Amino acid sequence: MADLLMFHGRECPHCKKMMPLVEKLEQESGVRIDKREVWHDEKNADLMRSYRSALAPKCGGQLRVPTFFNPDTQDAICGEVEFEKLKEWALKR
Amino acid sequence: MKKRYWRCFVCNDIHYGVAPPELCPTCKVLNAYVEISADEARGILGGGPGITLTPGEFRAAIERFAAGQEFEVNPDREKVGMLIEGVFANEANHGLKYCPCRLCAKDWEEDLKIVCPCNFTIHETYKGVRDGECWCGLFVRRK
Repeated sequence: MADLLMFHGRECPHCKKMMPLVEKLEQESGVRIDKREVWHDEKNADLMRSYRSALAPKCGGQLRVPTFFNPDTQDAICGEVEFEKLKEWALKR
Repeated sequence: MKKRYWRCFVCNDIHYGVAPPELCPTCKVLNAYVEISADEARGILGGGPGITLTPGEFRAAIERFAAGQEFEVNPDREKVGMLIEGVFANEANHGLKYCPCRLCAKDWEEDLKIVCPCNFTIHETYKGVRDGECWCGLFVRRK
């Protein structure tokens, strides 16, 4: 199973809030989520920008964090979401 | 419509917009603006007094900005503190007070839309939403 990506920001409270849920999901389901901080790491920022055409339409037309992205299906979900919603999204591949 | 730079010929106020203000907000002179080049605008603004804003002063500025509006600065001080820290880190590292909960697209015009405070009142997280807030949560609809 390919990795999912999580784009997040160090000073983003929503990202901070999602972290324990992401860890719980990884432990419960075996899904691996590759966490990429985008404001203090230019490579990660460039990676996120490279997916702009897939991410922006799902996130109010902008690059926003937190964003969860499946590079295989190009599907994305963004913002602070409930655990069950995140799990459903992550497992629907 | 393309935005341009304008200078008040009386007091050197600088305006960036499709048209100049009819009344100069500083010296109150009518029809005082003349179009200038970007270099001239930069020369005037860049050569002026180095006015800095501490995080505390920024916080006070956004409190004044929100006063009397239908939104307020989030009462959650811890969240606000983290966001302001991010806004200042972004200004130091990337040039402007970009929202810590979004990312620059390296598209100048688009990126101006994520400078804090942004025009969140038109966003889907705020407009028409009862407990609406801006994307990062710095501003929330006043209860």
